[in-house]
Amino acid sequence: MKAQELLNRFHEIATCPKAQMAHYLDSGKKVVLTAPVYTPEEIIHAMGAVPFGVWGADIELNESKRYFPAFICSIMQSLLELGIKGTYEGASAIVIPSLCDSLKVIGQNWKYAVPSIPFIPMTYPQNRKPDYGVAFTKAGYERVIADLEKTAGLKFDDAALGKSIEVYNAHNAVMRELVCVLANHPEVSNAARSDVFKSAFFMLKEEHTELVRELIAALGEEESGPAKTKIMTSGILADAPGLVSILDDCGLQIVCDDVAAESRQYATDTPAEGETNLDRLAVKFKEMDNCSVLYDADKKRCAKIAADAKAAGAKGVLVVLTKFCDPEEFDYPLIKKACDAEGIPVTVIEVDRQMVNYEQARTAIETFRDIL
Amino acid sequence: MAETTTKPRRNPPDPNSAKYKLGKIADDAYATAREAKARGEMIGWCASNFPVEIPETLGLAVVYPENQAAGIAARGAGVQMCEEAESEGYSNDICAYARVSLAYAKLKEAPVEPNVPMPDFVLCCNNICNCMIKWYENLSKELGIPMFIIDIPFNPDYEVSDAQIAYVRAQFWDCIHGLEKLTGKKWSDERYKEVMETSGRTSRAWLAATACARYTPSPFNGFDLLNHMAVMVTARGKKEAAEAMELLLKEYEQNHVEGKSTFRVEEKYRIMFEGIACWPWLRVTSTGLKSRGINMVTTIYADAFGFIYKDFDDMCRAYCNVPNAINLEHARDKRVKLCKDNSVEGLLVHTNRSCKLWSGFMPEMSRQIGEECGIPVVSFDGDQADARNFSEAQYDTRVQGLMEIMASRKEA
Repeated sequence: MKAQELLNRFHEIATCPKAQMAHYLDSGKKVVLTAPVYTPEEIIHAMGAVPFGVWGADIELNESKRYFPAFICSIMQSLLELGIKGTYEGASAIVIPSLCDSLKVIGQNWKYAVPSIPFIPMTYPQNRKPDYGVAFTKAGYERVIADLEKTAGLKFDDAALGKSIEVYNAHNAVMRELVCVLANHPEVSNAARSDVFKSAFFMLKEEHTELVRELIAALGEEESGPAKTKIMTSGILADAPGLVSILDDCGLQIVCDDVAAESRQYATDTPAEGETNLDRLAVKFKEMDNCSVLYDADKKRCAKIAADAKAAGAKGVLVVLTKFCDPEEFDYPLIKKACDAEGIPVTVIEVDRQMVNYEQARTAIETFRDIL
Repeated sequence: MAETTTKPRRNPPDPNSAKYKLGKIADDAYATAREAKARGEMIGWCASNFPVEIPETLGLAVVYPENQAAGIAARGAGVQMCEEAESEGYSNDICAYARVSLAYAKLKEAPVEPNVPMPDFVLCCNNICNCMIKWYENLSKELGIPMFIIDIPFNPDYEVSDAQIAYVRAQFWDCIHGLEKLTGKKWSDERYKEVMETSGRTSRAWLAATACARYTPSPFNGFDLLNHMAVMVTARGKKEAAEAMELLLKEYEQNHVEGKSTFRVEEKYRIMFEGIACWPWLRVTSTGLKSRGINMVTTIYADAFGFIYKDFDDMCRAYCNVPNAINLEHARDKRVKLCKDNSVEGLLVHTNRSCKLWSGFMPEMSRQIGEECGIPVVSFDGDQADARNFSEAQYDTRVQGLMEIMASRKEA
């Protein structure tokens, strides 16, 4: 298949998660929703269900306002809105991690707002590096397993987890490879790049891996298009069509990213060794870093963004700041300092999932392009 | 020639009163830290719900950025400090305490008191919110000083699990050993026992004093608690704090016997206040209630700083059970108890723009509290330190509405 045909397929999946969910349910699979930013998807996969990423949507908010004040991020607001409106009906449960304050509160609201889909908490430690942190992560996973067994009627088997870990590590590897391949193919639009990442949340990872491999192979057969101005993106989400199309219109090419819904998902593999596969998975969380929702007094993420941008040849960093996202808002001044120190221009644009008019963002991005 | 007027001078507080003693203890905490710094000792900045037992047992002087930010905001410089942080790139959506504190870390002085000595380390605990982690990470990075964290995760269950106790206990010891190494101070089990007993004694007296709201009329104005609470945050492990809190309890009991109250007008209505005080608008929010005879008799915020436990594990459990670390049902039940114990007739909720965790499930929880207690619930928008996020007119209208519902229920 040609690259464009494959990209069309990714677009179809990314823009129609409802059809994907129906497809899995119709085939007799159970679907478990997974909220941002990290959930132990491998466990859900090993228990035979489809982990289905839910990061909200670009929609108008009505019902969620009964539960949230206006200053909670629009990812959580729209996720709850979709839940209340029945979009996720048929799902067996939702797993919500406790990695920021808005994630803590959505779990509490979910119980009352969407009682038909059981809430399963995943309580992660922030002090995740010491052994006691790893033990607490494992206890959190055991809690998720117990809840999935109880609410969704699924069964856990450590050997099956080993196989799922292989599936997820393979997917991580192919997604990392994809970023490098796309960096050499400016003809692939930022919108298409976004579709590839987004579709990963709505597919079984082995299926997504297969499709991405096909895309990489197809791109290998094709000539690279004319060069564009290379940039790096950073933020929680950067997939709003209104935003991504501006980047394309401006002749900018995302060559690497520090976006939570994109490359941050695939940065860390589960290690090969461990007493049990569940232990290996707990160590994976210990080894995760460089993310605004993971404790790091050294703020290594900020310097890493500057280093990654430099290594990928990005001329500037575009911070796509989700409004009311504390973790990202606290990191931004230090990201700016780190990039300034390396002479890398930074621009920030504030977004939320209710934006309909991106003209202010367009002006900022056009100015950003002009200074690069 | 302009007419000159002399402001009537308030009587200075009686030096034998609890109010005087508590005020002095709160002020002394800053002086003690300044003196320690001058002696060349290492001092820390400490989160309000960090286990005070650790620095107290080690003999480390600490100050509390949240108290400092509240003080700066109450004295009118909150916006100026927030704007300073915003000029550094911090969003104005970030907690205003954090913005004030980050601005202070940059300027190393504030236009109003309290000014505090600069820290050699920071002590962070996130049992009130994860925003604390981000705030303290940035302090640590910007000031180039070590950060110690005790991560107390939000508990989605009603009871604290053994796994959580084990996790928290291990962190306590890691933190203690880390501080010993950094500062050269030594942990003493004997001293810890004394601190634990004193902290328990202070907390028991404080909770008994706040529980005097069960009397009708209440022997105190609930806004007093917001001031006295500073001692519970900064000094609950100190003997003089225990003595002052016991005196406060005695005074409240005495007020009850004598039919007196620090709420100086007729107590027509009794409410619970939910959320952190609007420090920049303290007088306005207080007067809006008092002028209508509404006494804020209780608030979970005050009781949050009373820690009672019997041993080390129980102490870990107590710190896991602070109001912002517990699930909706547990948080609701604690508040329902306060409402019922204190004959509360209405609930006034501060939707605090600075506090996503506190406000994030408040609409659902306050609905449930209202139903369970059969009381009206009214909310207003505000902020703990950024004066720009409060509308006096909205507050007044909402409080008037609450009063009218309470009045009609009384008549019925």
